[in-house]
Amino acid sequence: MLKLAVGHSNDPDSLAAITEVLAQLRSQLSGQLPNAGLLFAAIDFEYAQILQKIDEAFPGIELIGGTTEGEMSSELGFEQDSLTLMVFCSKTITISAGIGRNVAQDAVAAATSAVRQAQAHHADNIQFCLTFPESLTISNEIILESLESALGKKIPVFGGLTAGQHPSKQTYQFCKTEVCRNSVPILLFSGPIQFSHGVANGWHPIGKAGQVTKATHNVVYEIDNRPALSFYHHYLGALPPTSEYPLALLDAESERHYMRAPSGIYDETIGSITFFGSVPEGAVVQITEASHDDILAASSQSVQQAIDSYPGKSPDAALFFSCVGRRQLLGSRTKEEHALAQQQLGETLPSCGFYTNGEISPLQDEGSPRIHNETFVTLLIGEA
Amino acid sequence: MLSNAAMSSQLEVQQLEKQNRVLHKKLERAEVTNLELEATTQKKETLLRQVILELRDSQATLESQSRELEQTCLDLQQAQIQLVQAEKMSSLGQLVAGVAHEINNPVNFIHGNIRHLETYLQDLLEFLALYESHYPQPVDEIRQAAEDLEIAYIKDDLTKILPSMSMGTERIRDIVLSLRNFSRMDEAECKAVNIHDGIESTLLILQHRLKSQSERPTIEVVREFAAMPPVECFAGQLNQVFMNIISNAIDALETSLKKNPKVQKAPKIVLRTEAYADNIVISITDNGMGMPAAVKDRIFDPFFTTKPVGKGTGMGMAISYQLVVEKHSGKIVCHSEEGIGTGFVITLPIRLKP
Repeated sequence: MLKLAVGHSNDPDSLAAITEVLAQLRSQLSGQLPNAGLLFAAIDFEYAQILQKIDEAFPGIELIGGTTEGEMSSELGFEQDSLTLMVFCSKTITISAGIGRNVAQDAVAAATSAVRQAQAHHADNIQFCLTFPESLTISNEIILESLESALGKKIPVFGGLTAGQHPSKQTYQFCKTEVCRNSVPILLFSGPIQFSHGVANGWHPIGKAGQVTKATHNVVYEIDNRPALSFYHHYLGALPPTSEYPLALLDAESERHYMRAPSGIYDETIGSITFFGSVPEGAVVQITEASHDDILAASSQSVQQAIDSYPGKSPDAALFFSCVGRRQLLGSRTKEEHALAQQQLGETLPSCGFYTNGEISPLQDEGSPRIHNETFVTLLIGEA
Repeated sequence: MLSNAAMSSQLEVQQLEKQNRVLHKKLERAEVTNLELEATTQKKETLLRQVILELRDSQATLESQSRELEQTCLDLQQAQIQLVQAEKMSSLGQLVAGVAHEINNPVNFIHGNIRHLETYLQDLLEFLALYESHYPQPVDEIRQAAEDLEIAYIKDDLTKILPSMSMGTERIRDIVLSLRNFSRMDEAECKAVNIHDGIESTLLILQHRLKSQSERPTIEVVREFAAMPPVECFAGQLNQVFMNIISNAIDALETSLKKNPKVQKAPKIVLRTEAYADNIVISITDNGMGMPAAVKDRIFDPFFTTKPVGKGTGMGMAISYQLVVEKHSGKIVCHSEEGIGTGFVITLPIRLKP
């Protein structure tokens, strides 16, 4: 029996907010104690206090989470400056948390450490992994590759890169009662649990294509032998490149376009731009744009993909990882994204999610996990 | 212990305090979001403007490519005309030259013998006169025969028949010469020639069309020729041009007379030549019905014709244009006014640059 509950508060006062969230959860759980949870919090809260309160309410809860650029749940829909907590109660499904620190310095060591901590509790094969890593100090592919090699290739990874108020200066990760920076928290699931996912973005390439002539990991220095910034300035004017105008790159493996969004970090003197995710040298890139309707149609498409490929009868919960760039373009229509998804899945299905600096999921069902940008990832889970 | 009322009012205060906090935060957030959206909108505007500019660029590129293609297509059409024309001229020229050659020999034979015939006849007539002076009273049988044969009339008419025959063969010789001139098989390369000879040859070939017909009077040909230096040209080709223009002029005059039978206008073609330091000008003007501007503008287009299907190929003027402009580095201009007439002005350099 898998029981899920969701709490969500938009009270800016940390204590008031977590008190409200815990009260919501208790009323849904009717006395059951959850064994795991996911916490998504806006940037201005007192995280240590919040985590402490959660642990007091649900002792020993295997919880991970992180800071966000917008939160969503079946309780309040889309909110900003809010706090949402989803908890899992199951006697048969094993869920365990782990965290790797100093990921920017040694991603392999961090990922290995996180996996080792979390895996210790599992007798069965791991079904999938959730993760909410740091997004700004290291190329996110490196984190993902390290995680993939620590977990073994077959295990799907979902989640999103933690975010903060734009332009991002700092993000935080949570594991149990600990507030971390520069870390990679993970939550592993084993036992009778099943899941499916959908991935879509809605962005279209526009304008002339250019070729990346100089790049290292996620920093692009030159496009068509000219500073990367001038490629952006050509299309967007003097304003700095931001995540809602990503580059489209053609994926050699799937022959599909994937997105790389500027992180907001750039160097005016040498003209380089840092992206959420690496951009290989030689890649042919094109600037992209999307209308509100394109973005919302893609959200629906992502949810539909997940529904269509769900192996069981009906899922017990939905998780959404959407990009900050989508929120930024959608503006006041952002709430429609969650509302549409919830409508498609049924109003009573517990759901929870956040706006990330990079969405994590495989493209196809069996493919390697990837960092996406400008994308809406739907993850449906339920008891097998 | 708080009363129920006090508890509920405390709860209310807490609710209000929360609402206040939330609203305050939302206001702050709204300001940030607003700024973000403004920046986003500005970027989208710039992006779309830039893309529109690029589209315009690529549209311009496409247009120029399409113009180039059109030009290439025209060039190919011209090349095709040239080939067809060369082939036609070559076979027509061979035919004309062959016929001219075949006619030339027997005509020369006749023409050459007419003089001998004249001498012999003269001798015979003198001999007859001598005979008559010595035998003024011939025997009855001779006198009767002379009467029956109308010898007196024969003597008189013979002197007229011979010059007429001589003139006839002369005409045939002229026509043959014109045919050879026209085909110029012997002059396939560029030579300095008298342009007037070419014009005259063409007129001679078209003589039968200029003459009066049952339904119309003779077309008058007015020559306003200036003294002309020899002009370097491919004479056969220029003759072809004169032929095309003059026969079109005749067509135009005939159509004009047929359409307006009541208008008393004597059909006329004026041929005018002028010589300058480096070039010469030939103008050929008719007083036919003229052309509307839409026709005039397309007069040199290949395959353009106003004649009934099967009558015109639409190639005559296109070929003429090509022969004058490309082969002779000249100019050909058409003037036309409806109801007044049409004129072609050809300008040719005296010395043809290789």
